[in-house]
Amino acid sequence: MAKPLDLLQGTLDMLILKAISLGPLHGYGILLRIQQISKDRLEIQQGSLYPALYRLEHQGWIASVWGESENNRKAKYYSLTARGKRQLQLEAENWNRMTDVIGGILSTAKEEL
Amino acid sequence: MNFFKNLFQRRQMESEMDTELRFHIDSFTADLIRQGIPSDEALRRARMEFGAIEAKKEECRESLGLRLWDELRGDCRYGVRMMKQNPGFTAVAVVSLGLGIGANTAIFTFAQEILLKTMAVPHSERLRMLNWAVVDPKAHFPGPAWGSFGPGLASPFPYRLYQEMRRHNEVLDDLVAFKDVYHLSATVNGQAEPVDGMLVSGNFYRSIAPKMIAGRPIAPEDDSLSASPVVVISDAYWARRFGRSAEALGKIISLNRVPVTIIGVNAPEFKGAKAGGTYEIFFPLSLQPQVLPIRDGSLLAIDNYWWLMVMGRLKAGVTDQAAGIALEAGFRNAFHATMPEKKDFPHFSIIKGSRGLDRRQLEFTKPIYLLLALAGLVLLIACANLANLLLARSTTRQREMSLRLAMGATRSRVMRQVLTEAMLLASLGGAAGLLLGYWGRNFIPSLFDDSWHPSGIDPQMDWRVFAFAFAITLITGLLFGVAPAWRSTRADVNSGLQETGRMSTGRPRAFLGKALVVCQVSLSLLLLVGAGLFLRTLLNLRTTAIGFNPEHILLFDINPPRSQYPWPKGVALYQRIEEKLAILPGVQSVTLSAEPLLANSMDRNCFRPTGKPPGPAEQDPPWTNSVGPNFFETFGIPIVNGRSFTARDNHSVPDVAIVNRRFARESFPNENPVGRTITSCERGDNPTPIEIVGVSADAKYSDIRGEAPPTIYFSFPQDNKGRATFELKTAASTPSIVAEIREVVRSIDKDLPVQEVRTQTQQIEATLSQERVFATLTSGFGILALILASIGIYGIMSYTVSRRTNEIGIRMALGARSTVVLSMVLRETLLLALIGIAAGLASAAAVTRLAATMLYNLKPTDPLTFVAAAFLLTIIALASGFIPARRASSVDPMHALRHE
Repeated sequence: MAKPLDLLQGTLDMLILKAISLGPLHGYGILLRIQQISKDRLEIQQGSLYPALYRLEHQGWIASVWGESENNRKAKYYSLTARGKRQLQLEAENWNRMTDVIGGILSTAKEEL
Repeated sequence: MNFFKNLFQRRQMESEMDTELRFHIDSFTADLIRQGIPSDEALRRARMEFGAIEAKKEECRESLGLRLWDELRGDCRYGVRMMKQNPGFTAVAVVSLGLGIGANTAIFTFAQEILLKTMAVPHSERLRMLNWAVVDPKAHFPGPAWGSFGPGLASPFPYRLYQEMRRHNEVLDDLVAFKDVYHLSATVNGQAEPVDGMLVSGNFYRSIAPKMIAGRPIAPEDDSLSASPVVVISDAYWARRFGRSAEALGKIISLNRVPVTIIGVNAPEFKGAKAGGTYEIFFPLSLQPQVLPIRDGSLLAIDNYWWLMVMGRLKAGVTDQAAGIALEAGFRNAFHATMPEKKDFPHFSIIKGSRGLDRRQLEFTKPIYLLLALAGLVLLIACANLANLLLARSTTRQREMSLRLAMGATRSRVMRQVLTEAMLLASLGGAAGLLLGYWGRNFIPSLFDDSWHPSGIDPQMDWRVFAFAFAITLITGLLFGVAPAWRSTRADVNSGLQETGRMSTGRPRAFLGKALVVCQVSLSLLLLVGAGLFLRTLLNLRTTAIGFNPEHILLFDINPPRSQYPWPKGVALYQRIEEKLAILPGVQSVTLSAEPLLANSMDRNCFRPTGKPPGPAEQDPPWTNSVGPNFFETFGIPIVNGRSFTARDNHSVPDVAIVNRRFARESFPNENPVGRTITSCERGDNPTPIEIVGVSADAKYSDIRGEAPPTIYFSFPQDNKGRATFELKTAASTPSIVAEIREVVRSIDKDLPVQEVRTQTQQIEATLSQERVFATLTSGFGILALILASIGIYGIMSYTVSRRTNEIGIRMALGARSTVVLSMVLRETLLLALIGIAAGLASAAAVTRLAATMLYNLKPTDPLTFVAAAFLLTIIALASGFIPARRASSVDPMHALRHE
């Protein structure tokens, strides 16, 4: 297996929003889901997850409630707010446009100029 | 969760964060164990992969915006610790800031009472008052008037004209009329007392809508000649006379001997149609003929008698301009309808009425701005002082700052910390200042008090005062905190950390600190010059020649109601009082006059030598006064020609007059006026000539500043105006003679109050209140500035000396004598002081011009004041530099060289 990629600056927020958009999750669950979707190809600093979550909540993009985890422990579950949904959509569009542009530049061959 | 919830339920938020992070690590550990890793190893790996937990928590707090708050708290706690460590410094800072902010707050409290407070009625900002003026100098005055005129003041109107205007008004909610009246005699349960009151039109209470706290307001039905007489009283009167008892309502009291029924009580905040007024009895216009019979009785029936103030609230959506145009048209029609014979139409306008009749702002605005400026200067000096002390301290704290920077604190973070400490000091000073301002809020008004009765200014602290105090606290904190904060981040990390670092920083001369001290000295000089100028003005005024002897003269007023004492019965009353007073033991002489001397009151009437054509007297009429026999003897005004008045100059013989030298010189140049006659320019077609029987020396009349005006004295029994002031020359002590005076007056008429008992010197002092206030406050500010400047000089010199201990030690080791070192330090002090004084003298010469009109017999650049201030400041500077100089000269060379 190839060495996992480090996360690009600023993409963690988007990944968290995406992970939660599939259903409410606690912090550890978010980590697992991102790893699962990415098939372990991304390296996420576990501790960095929480400052990001607090920031997103402070901005009003996600909301939290305390609930029971699978192993019957108290855990904080995050879910997407309406504003968060819009934000995710916006960020996804921007990301796609960005990768198109960057991809286009990188795939340019000499004779195309 | 929002920010404030996090802030105020901090413990809950912290424990939830704890739980959440622990859950993560536990879950991860459990998963690792499930993969077959031993539990110890699993926990270790989980923790490692998570990263530093405390650091992550801090990041979480920062995400919530709590970090700034935490740092602020930390800085504050540290700042408090620093303050505790330097109690001396803290005390100087808090006291000097407290005095500066307190002075500003007290003056601002006074200012907002005088300049900003409006009448306590709904929508006072929409109130307007009507005003007219005779602009054309050739035009005739449109009739007799009762009231005051002047730019920016509302003017009085005749009753019928007011009613006409009211009937055709479409731009104001309604037009109400009122008249302020003074020295009414109100008798409750047989006790007479002088009160001020207000005549109001029947619609006044309905339209202006002041709040009442008991009973009912005056209604339109009450304002009718057939209605039973009613009054509304003020809360103050209710409290004073009736102890706020409900029995006051319905009670019958007598007002100038007219029985009236109390029907209601105003709320305490409503003081009549004048912000800061002291009116106590409000009664309908229809009572004027009974209570205040003036001239032919009813002013309501005289169409050309101008006496009522008219006010109204702008209708919503009506502009001042539109209202002015509509009302002027209304005025023009009403004027022609009610006074068809008058041709000269006066100029009409409307003015702001939110303060009613209050005109204090006209006389106080300039003094208040000046006082605020002076108090601001004091605060500035205090700021300079603190900036200096903090700067000196920041140098000793260089190691600490270097350490902080070395450990990764950013420059802005260090700056913020120093600023927070400054702000902490500022807010302590601000709190002290607010407290001082609160205690001192009555101090400034009390300076304006006459010594025998209060000014009635009762400033209240409100949100504006708090906002002001808060704002200046913030500004001072920034002012004195910025320089030290900036300086602290300039620290060179390396040299700052070395023990001997400060020897090599090539800037031991403390340039910034010295510049601040120079500023301080120059500002202090400015204040000292101001104090000197105002003190000398007061002194000049007190010692100026007034033309009469004010010593040992007691004054009191008598205002017999005209309904009871029509002329000439009033004359007899005065004669009886005079005769009885004259035989009191200790009384040397008794006289009376229509106007008291040097009390800012006067009477001017146009008189000219009989037979002369109209001349300057029409534009600038002479000043007139009616005085009793003995007047000139009592006041020691010499009669230079002819004779004085005697008791025989009464109404059964032809009128006589005495003129002063200036009138004689101006109206009878090179002639002997005795035996000549003067005639009134106004009285009818065939005025009686009045014979001049004597010429007196010049004496000042109404105000102490001007020259003695051309004056005509008439004999009181021949020219009785109603109200009079008695003047007694007595060697007896005031309290004992006052009791006897009251007894005498009571024995003649028990309902006649003796008013305004004061000595002539008190009376003169009262007209000097503004000068006294300035002299007192500027002297106080000057002393404060001197103290602050001496602290500043002491601080900076001690600092330079301590920094140069090493150098001084070397000098002494090489043989310098201690006197040389002493004079070296003193020379440096003197240099600082002289630069500051030079700058201060230059700026004083530039700005004292602004106060030139407030000075008396003094140029704004009075050399004596300037030299004295400079000299005083030099002495103080040398004295405060002496202690550090002594310390320097007694340095032990061995000790100094080992130092550091």
